[in-house]
Amino acid sequence: MTKCHCRNPLKPYPATIVKIIDETPDVKTFQMVFDDPAVMESFRQKPGQVAQLSVFGVGEATISITSSPTRKGILEFSVKKVGMLTSALHRLEPGSKVGIRGPYGNHFPYEVMKGKDLLFIGGGIGLAPLRALIDFVLAEENRGDYGKIDIIYGARSMDDLCFKYDILDRWPQMPGTTVYTTIDRAEPGWEGHVGFVPAYLEEINPSPENKYAITCGPPIMIKFVLQALEKMGFSDDQVITTLELKMKCGIGKCGRCNIGSKYVCLDGPVFYLSQLKQLPPEF
Amino acid sequence: MKAYTITRDNLGAWLDALARDYTLIAPVREEETVSLFKPVRGFAEINLGYTNSTVSPKGWLFPQTEEMFFFSTGGGQITLADAQTPGPAVLFGLRPCDIKGILALDPVFNGAYQDCYYQKRRQDTILVGLSCTRVERHCFCTSMGGGPTDGGGADLLLTEMDDGYGIEVLTPRGEELVNRYQQYFDADRENRVIPAREELGKKLAGQFTRNVDTTGVKEFLDQHFELPYWGELARRCLGCGICTYICPTCHCFDIFDQSPDGELGVRSRCWDSCMFSHFTRMAGGHNPRPTQKERVRNRFLHKLKYHRDRYNLDGCVGCGRCVTRCPVNIDIRQIIADLQEVARHD
Ligand SMILES: Cc1cc2nc3c(=O)[nH]c(=O)nc-3n(C[C@H](O)[C@H](O)[C@H](O)COP(=O)(O)OP(=O)(O)OC[C@H]3O[C@@H](n4cnc5c(N)ncnc54)[C@H](O)[C@@H]3O)c2cc1C
Ligand code: SF4
Ligand code: SF4
Ligand code: FES
Repeated sequence: MTKCHCRNPLKPYPATIVKIIDETPDVKTFQMVFDDPAVMESFRQKPGQVAQLSVFGVGEATISITSSPTRKGILEFSVKKVGMLTSALHRLEPGSKVGIRGPYGNHFPYEVMKGKDLLFIGGGIGLAPLRALIDFVLAEENRGDYGKIDIIYGARSMDDLCFKYDILDRWPQMPGTTVYTTIDRAEPGWEGHVGFVPAYLEEINPSPENKYAITCGPPIMIKFVLQALEKMGFSDDQVITTLELKMKCGIGKCGRCNIGSKYVCLDGPVFYLSQLKQLPPEF
Repeated sequence: MKAYTITRDNLGAWLDALARDYTLIAPVREEETVSLFKPVRGFAEINLGYTNSTVSPKGWLFPQTEEMFFFSTGGGQITLADAQTPGPAVLFGLRPCDIKGILALDPVFNGAYQDCYYQKRRQDTILVGLSCTRVERHCFCTSMGGGPTDGGGADLLLTEMDDGYGIEVLTPRGEELVNRYQQYFDADRENRVIPAREELGKKLAGQFTRNVDTTGVKEFLDQHFELPYWGELARRCLGCGICTYICPTCHCFDIFDQSPDGELGVRSRCWDSCMFSHFTRMAGGHNPRPTQKERVRNRFLHKLKYHRDRYNLDGCVGCGRCVTRCPVNIDIRQIIADLQEVARHD
C-alpha cells in the first residue's frame, strides 16, 4: 500500500462569491474567489474542466468552469437552476461562502488545435464550457496560435441567451472572429437570425478544411449538430463535444458516471466524436 | 515465509489480547441466518465457524455510511473539520474470497486521486485470513481464479488443523504482529502448516457444486453490448439492489449533507447501487439507463468487463453472496454460462 500524502480530494476549499451576473431568468454566472490566496494561486484549470461546487448543508454539483485560465485570480461558473443545489446557489448573494473542489476531468485539446480554425457551436447553457476555450484562444497571448474563430450560438428566446455581453458586444469585435446568433422563434426587438442551431449551421455551411468543430448544448441539439457536421464533411476526429452524466465524486471512485469502461469524470467530459462512437450508447 | 501453530486455547487468549490492543473486527453471528463482521470485545463474541458472512467485510474499510467532514458556516466563515478515523485495527477471519475482494477495491480507491478515507483505514488495518473448511452451495471462487485456502493479500493466514490452527506469515506486517504476541505461538518445527493447508485445499476443491468457465466471456462482451439476453434477465430483476450491497467488490457511493440547524453539519457518503433507477437520473429527468435492462447489463458488465478494462482485475471474486441472496435467483454463474452459450451461437 502506498501511503496517502495527498490533500483529501473530496474536501472542498472555502470560497466566496464576489459577484453574480443574471444571464437569463434561470441562469446566473457566479464569480468566485478562494478564501486562501495560496489555493487561488495553485488552482490551475484547463479549458473544458469542471469543478464540484458545494453549498454546505445542501450538497454538491458538477459545474463547468466557464472562465478562461488566462483570467487570473477569479473563477466563473454559470449555473442553470434545475434542482436542489443549483436552486440553493441561486439564492445566495455576493459575499456568501461556498466550497469548490477540482479541477476535474480532461480538457479541450487546445494543444492539438494549434494552427487550426475553430468552429464553436453552442446551445443555451451549453456555451458555458465552450466559453472557457473561446476566451482562452482569444486571449492576447494565445490568439496567434489559432486561425479563424466562428461562433454559432442559439437559445430558445432572446431572454435565454447567456453571456450577451460576450456574444453581442465583446467577441464580434475581436479580430478574426465571427459570431452568429440565433433564437428559436421571432420576437419583437430581435433583428438577428431565427431558427434552431443545427439549421443555422447548415445555412452557414462552414467548410471543414483545417478546422475543428466544438459543440455543447442540450442532447437533442448535439445530436442534430453532429449529423449536420457529418453531412458537411467533417471527419469524426475534427468534431469535439462534451458529455454530461450524473456525477458525485468527480474522481473515479463513486462509480456513477461510467459509460462502458470510461468515466466521464476522469476520461471526459471532452470527447472526440470518433471516441464517442466507440462508447456504448448510454448517455 | 515463516509459519507457526497455535492451540485453540491460545487462539482465544490471543484474540482477547488483540481486542485489548486494537480495534478487532471479526465475524459474529447476529441471528440464525445472518453473520457480519463487526468490532468485538473478545474471543467469546467471535464465530469462526461461518462460511461466508451475509454482508461482505468491505464495510470496515469502506463503511456503509461514513462521515467525511464536519462544516460550520457560522459568522460568515466556513470551517471544515475532519471526521475521526479509527486507529489501528485487525480485520480477523477473512475468507480468501473476501481478501480478494479487498484487492479488487484497492485500485479504485488508489490512483491519481487517492481516497484518503479508504487509504487511512487500509493502512491502519492488519488483515488476518482464515482458510475455508467448507464449501457452500453457491461458492465458486475457484472459477474466478481464487481458492478456499488461497490467502494471498492477507498479512497472516490461519488454517484450522486437528490440534489448533496453523498460521502462515505472508507480509512483514504480519510478521510484526506475530512477534508482538510471540507467547501464544509455537514455531512450526515439523513444517506441518503448509502441507496441512494444501491438503485441505485439495479436499475442498472437489466440493464445489458448480464450476464456471469464464474463458472468452470478456472478449465476447467487448464485441457485444446489445444482447436480447439482458432484457430477459431484467424481466426478473426487482431492482432491489441487495446484490450490490453485499458484494465485496461493489464500491459505488452517494454523497450527502446533513445540517439540522443550517450552520453546523456533516458531509457523509453511503453505499449506493447501480441497480436503482435514480442512480443515473439527471436533473431535468434524462436517464441514460432508463430501464432495468440497462442497469442489469451495467452491473454484470462491470463485474465481467469494465473492472478488468480499468484495473486488469475481475470485478467478481466468486463469493456467491449475490447468488444466495437475490430474491429472484439471478445467478452470476448461470449468466457466465449463458453468455458462453450465446457466444457459441454467435
Ligand atoms: C461535466 C458536467 C458539466 C456541467 N456543467 C454545468 C454548467 O456549466 N452549468 C450548469 O448549470 N450545469 C452544469 N452541469 C449540470 C449540473 O451538474 C446539474 O444540473 C446539477 O448537478 C443539478 O444539481 P441539483 O442539485 O440542482 O439538481 P437535483 O436534481 O436536485 O440533483 C440531485 C443530484 O443529482 C446530481 N445531478 C443531477 N443532474 C445532474 C447532471 N445533469 N449532471 C451531473 N449531476 C447531476 C447532482 O449531483 C445532485 O447531487 C454539468 C454537468 C456535468 C456532468
Ligand atoms: S458479483 Fe456476486 S459472487 Fe461475485 S463477488 Fe460480488 S457478490 Fe460475490
Ligand atoms: S439482488 Fe437480484 S433482484 Fe435484486 S437487484 Fe440484484 S439481481 Fe436484481
Ligand atoms: S463522478 Fe464518481 S466516478 Fe465519476
